[in-house]
Amino acid sequence: MALVEVNNLSMRFSGIVAVEDLSFEIEEGSITSLIGPNGAGKTSVFNCMTGFYKASSGDIIFDGQSLINLKPYSITEKGIIRTFQNVRLFKNLTAMENVMSGVHRVTNQSIFGALLRHPKQRREEEKIRETAEFFMNYVGIYDKKDILAKNLSYGDQRRTEWARALSASPKLLLLDEPAAGLNREEKESLVELIHSFRDSYGITVFFIEHDMELVMKASEKVIVVNFGKKIAQGTPNEVQNNPLVVEAYLGS
Amino acid sequence: MGLIDKLDNKVSKTIGSLALLLVMVLLPLRVDNYVQNVLWNAMFYMLLALGLNVIVGYCGLCDLGYAAKFAIGAYTTGVLMKSFSWNFWLTLPVSMLISAITAAIVGGATLKLRSDYLAIVTLGFAEIVRISVRNMSITGSASGLIAISRPSLFGIRLTRITHWYYVFLVLVLMFIFITYRIRHSRFGRALTYIREDEDAAQAMGINTTKYKLYAYIIGAVLGGITGSFYAVKMTNISPTSFDFTQSANILLAVILGGMGKIPGVIVGAAFFAIFPELFRDIPIIGEMRMLFFGILLIVVMITRPQGLWPERKQRM
Repeated sequence: MALVEVNNLSMRFSGIVAVEDLSFEIEEGSITSLIGPNGAGKTSVFNCMTGFYKASSGDIIFDGQSLINLKPYSITEKGIIRTFQNVRLFKNLTAMENVMSGVHRVTNQSIFGALLRHPKQRREEEKIRETAEFFMNYVGIYDKKDILAKNLSYGDQRRTEWARALSASPKLLLLDEPAAGLNREEKESLVELIHSFRDSYGITVFFIEHDMELVMKASEKVIVVNFGKKIAQGTPNEVQNNPLVVEAYLGS
Repeated sequence: MGLIDKLDNKVSKTIGSLALLLVMVLLPLRVDNYVQNVLWNAMFYMLLALGLNVIVGYCGLCDLGYAAKFAIGAYTTGVLMKSFSWNFWLTLPVSMLISAITAAIVGGATLKLRSDYLAIVTLGFAEIVRISVRNMSITGSASGLIAISRPSLFGIRLTRITHWYYVFLVLVLMFIFITYRIRHSRFGRALTYIREDEDAAQAMGINTTKYKLYAYIIGAVLGGITGSFYAVKMTNISPTSFDFTQSANILLAVILGGMGKIPGVIVGAAFFAIFPELFRDIPIIGEMRMLFFGILLIVVMITRPQGLWPERKQRM
């Protein structure tokens, strides 16, 4: 069964159609990418899937439940975690505190726990810390854990965002242009990371990307959209040789 | 920074805090009533600033009517003691409850909207509270409540300024403890995530509306407690004690010291209460001290927008 089913999704902003009658599926445990020229509606699809936009029509089914009308935080609670195109970290907090926010989803201490600091609360705090440290180590920013997010280099900010998303133990990870602004070396390690997200933790990965080399190397299935409509889907090779895709990118 | 430096830093911080506490405890033995009263006033502002800090500093909500929160506490205690002859200590839980309920109503209605609306609503709510107590006979109308009786603690009737100095010192320590524990918990971190980026906080699974409401209620309850103690310390309360200037003063103390930072907020409140007093007796300047204070505030805000308290040290 597919983990995600998007059925006839449309998203309109007072006359402008960002997404039109779009349908696709994401298999559990797969690595799928969403590509298309600028303004094709890719980020709008992400925003609909995560509740930041309210879809005009259509349905999104995750794990057998509809996501329509859910708020972003309850979609996150179900296990869909996203990153943002233009990195949205908590700028005046340390890298560590940023990553700890991911663990919020899988913990549950309240204000009374905060005040009383009973053993259960302390154990949970320890778990939050350990999880955050583990994933910072995993993406390679552990040595920068005490630096404020705003003072990190761009590449490290990206890594912090990945660590934050991973520490929420997602079922489905949505990455919005994860390679934007990264250098060649960083892009190569990103390909490896994306594969290890899936291979080590069974995370299904769905990502938007402009860098074709990375798309071809990292994804197993590619969905191509243009003007909000799906124009092709298939393996990287199939898509690469599809005349419609070539036309969308290069013009006829 | 090595482990030894880190340890050193922690030890020197602890020693510094303990030394400051010792000075505060011993001070009433050496200084006169006037100085004690100025310091009491500083501690009173510290309590208000620590409470408002949860709302403004931790959660980033703009509250322009904090005076209403401590007015509610002060009047709840005042009315229960004057009209119903309650014991002061029994009025405390009632004052906390009423503070929480009013905050839940005001916050519940506005916190779903963008944060800017809260500023306007809190401003309006503070005026509603002030005008209501001015016009109700049970709250003593414009002249307020007078001759509220003094409470007793461990058999001592709290009448002297030294008593109140120590009561408020204990309260300050309690408020520091409470707000420190809130800050360093899953709950408190969620508030700071909301302050930094509300969308990203939502994306991490934080129910932002709920957490903002909690922050608002906690701030209001702390304000209510402060108000209750204020009522029995002053024994007279009137609507003029809770006007907009008061709300602005508390907000300024928080911003001046450094939003979200407990030592910063304390320094801000102390500075705010003590600075005008230092210049009172100097000729000419004394008369214009509020003018100088205003200029100083502007200079501080231009040169140190993050507040007087330094940013935390970090490894580079």
